[in-house]
Amino acid sequence: MTSTLKGITLKGSAEIVAEFFSFGINSILYQRGIYPPETFSRVTHYDMSLQVTTDVKLKNYLTNVVSQLKEWLCECTVQKLVLVITCLETNEVLERWQFDIECDKSAKESSAPREKSLKTIQEEIRSVIRQITASVTFLPLLETPCAFDLLVYTDKDLVVPDKWEESGPQIINQSEEVRLRSFTTSIHKVNSMVAYKRADSV
Amino acid sequence: MDLEDDTTVLTTLKSFNSFISRSQPPQPLPECSGYGGSLQSTYERSMGLLEAAERVNSKNKYFQLDQEKKQMELSHKRARLELEKAASDNARDFKNEVEKNQDLLGRIKRLEERESEASRNLEEQVEANRALRKNLEGLTKKLEERDTRLNTANQTISSLKDEVRVLTQKIQNQDSTLTSQTLEKEELQEQLDLQRRKYQEVSQLCKNLQAAQSSCSEHVIKIKELERRLALQEQDFSIVKNVKSEVARVPDLEKELKRLREENALLRESRENCSLLKEEVEGLRRKLERTEKTIEDLVNMELEKEKLQAWENLGQSTGLSIRKPEDLSREVIQIQQREITLKEQNYTLNSRVRSTERLLSELNSELSQQHSKTLEEQKKREAQDSLVRRLQKRVLLLTKERDGMRSILESYDSELASTEYSPQLNKRVREAEDMLQKIQSHNVEMEVCLELESLKKQQASAADSNVLVTKEEVSILRQKIEDLEAERQRLEEQNNILEMRLERHNLQGDYDPVKTRVLHFKMNPTAVAKQQRQQEMESLQEEVTRLRELVRSLQDGGAQDDGSILTPNLSLSLPPSKEVLDLRKQMESSELKNQRLKEVFQKKIQEFRTVCYVLTGYQIDITTTNQYRLTSVYAEHMDDSLLFKKSSKGSMHLMETEFSKTLGEMVDLHLHHQKSIPAFLSAVTLDLFSRQTTV
Repeated sequence: MTSTLKGITLKGSAEIVAEFFSFGINSILYQRGIYPPETFSRVTHYDMSLQVTTDVKLKNYLTNVVSQLKEWLCECTVQKLVLVITCLETNEVLERWQFDIECDKSAKESSAPREKSLKTIQEEIRSVIRQITASVTFLPLLETPCAFDLLVYTDKDLVVPDKWEESGPQIINQSEEVRLRSFTTSIHKVNSMVAYKRADSV
Repeated sequence: MDLEDDTTVLTTLKSFNSFISRSQPPQPLPECSGYGGSLQSTYERSMGLLEAAERVNSKNKYFQLDQEKKQMELSHKRARLELEKAASDNARDFKNEVEKNQDLLGRIKRLEERESEASRNLEEQVEANRALRKNLEGLTKKLEERDTRLNTANQTISSLKDEVRVLTQKIQNQDSTLTSQTLEKEELQEQLDLQRRKYQEVSQLCKNLQAAQSSCSEHVIKIKELERRLALQEQDFSIVKNVKSEVARVPDLEKELKRLREENALLRESRENCSLLKEEVEGLRRKLERTEKTIEDLVNMELEKEKLQAWENLGQSTGLSIRKPEDLSREVIQIQQREITLKEQNYTLNSRVRSTERLLSELNSELSQQHSKTLEEQKKREAQDSLVRRLQKRVLLLTKERDGMRSILESYDSELASTEYSPQLNKRVREAEDMLQKIQSHNVEMEVCLELESLKKQQASAADSNVLVTKEEVSILRQKIEDLEAERQRLEEQNNILEMRLERHNLQGDYDPVKTRVLHFKMNPTAVAKQQRQQEMESLQEEVTRLRELVRSLQDGGAQDDGSILTPNLSLSLPPSKEVLDLRKQMESSELKNQRLKEVFQKKIQEFRTVCYVLTGYQIDITTTNQYRLTSVYAEHMDDSLLFKKSSKGSMHLMETEFSKTLGEMVDLHLHHQKSIPAFLSAVTLDLFSRQTTV
């Protein structure tokens, strides 16, 4: 981890963003009830209490995805991370949590670390996660059993790793979009938004 | 003691009071004596009283103190008594303890004596122990010495034995080596002999070889000579070949020679011709030169002729009377004068042109200034347009917020029936709408301002153009500006729409396939969940089909015999329900009952029939319905039987049989006259019985 004394390097920024995604995805899964709440345990991070899953398979999947994402963040080849929630009965996409990543390509491995205090970044991340939790108020209830998937939008010329394959964008039919807060580490900027299926069109 | 003190105090107070009251009545008596000395008497009395009181008080106090002292003494005595008691007790205890002490001292002394004895014993024993230990040590030392000596002796023995063994081994080894060496020696001698023989053979071979070598060398020499000769012969051969080839070429060469000689002759002739031709050529060249010169003279002459003609023509062309060059010079002077005047005019015109150019440049500069001003105005306009755009965006966002709020409102309205929240929300909606209207009005004002500014600019540009440029250009420029502005607005609107669409699509998750690619993990939870769901569905469908078959089989099995069809299905299907089991049990039990009842009935019937046969003497059989055949015990033949038929009313009628024909009399008697079948039957039995017994 980078300390405020040294500044933010490309690798440190990638770690911060990957960590945020790991906790953010866990929070979304807990809030939306994709997995039963008894499979989650409370941890403290970013000066707030967060819910993290204890399911082994899910943990493995998340660590695989997040580690690959960290590599891609260091190479600045990833554009978006999307969490798609599909209904198992109808195979319809019900919700779409999209995180746009804007990478400052001028910051390479060798360039000097940028001045941004870790505390401000953590505060921004905290506000984003709080907003995700608060979004429960206007999102429609997920009554049917659902499953989730993680999609990554990358550059076209990237080499596809072993365990990954190409997929469609899985866009919602007739959706309402809400833009949430964003945070920046001065090298990576992450914009969050959520799109959900309109209630009357179901 | 305190209570006693208090009581004594109270008693003393009471006595004091009683005293004072006793002392008081005598007081009023001296008052009646006289008034003059009353005061003094009263004063004296009071003083006396006071003194008495003081004396009483002092006496009281004295009494009190006495009593206190007595009490103190009492308490002292009591305390002393107690102390004495305690002291006596203590003395007793002390005595007891002293006695105990003495006992203990005695014991201690005894114990000390014992201890001393024990210590003396101990010391003696310790000394004995030490002596014994010393002995032991001496003995152990001796033993150790002996052991060491024994060990050393053993070691020496073992070492000697080892040496002996080693020496024997060495001897053996040496013997073996000796034998082996003798064997080797013999072998070597044999080898030596062999080698000598070989050497001799080899020497012979060498001699042979040398002889052969010498012969070889001689042969080699011979071969070389032969080779030399061969080489020479080959050279001669090659020379011969060359000569032959050359000889073959000779006729060709002779032919060539002839040809060349002929050519030579031809060339000589041609040379002569050449020289002749050269002379001719020279002559022709000279002619050429002369002719060229004449041509040049001709040309010059023609030029001069032309000039003279031109001179002649001049006169005709100018219309002046030019016959002489003086006329020409006059003309020339006139022309020059004219030229001078024209040049003067030219200079004046040039100066005018320069002045106009200066004016033009000034005007251009002014134009450029105006252009810059227009650019600034345009920039301002653009800024305002951007403001307008931002405002429009804000308007759109606000409308979106409003839509969102409206949707929330609607959801609240649909969910909640209470009117607590709706007025607040309505207020908010109204406020938002007011804001919207304000913004729209502001927008409109901004647009109006923009138009005014554009009009002003246009007017300014028109004014400038009127001053400097023609009106047509102004109108053209105005039109162009208006068109461009309209286009720009349109393009801006389109741009805004497209940007909004792009934003919308970006929010929804669209991407450019040329630049981006969407990836996901192969083993992602959705795929896993779908697989599981499919498997569940398949298993459920299988179960459903199985259950349907079971149901069908059960339905079919209900119509037919249950056991035969159910039993093969029972192995596949679920366990049968409780009702079915109960019903089956009931069925089985009822069947058993039926069977038992049947058996019992049969037995009973058999019994009854036999009893009837025995008692009545007739065996009653039912041949067909309502027909009974009776055969008697005493029948003579087996076929003798009586047939009775039961009519529909219930009465019995006898039917004709062979046996009944023989009983005609009895039939008439008993049935026709007496109308009693039992009598008839009994008569028949009696008759048969009588026949039997007699016969």
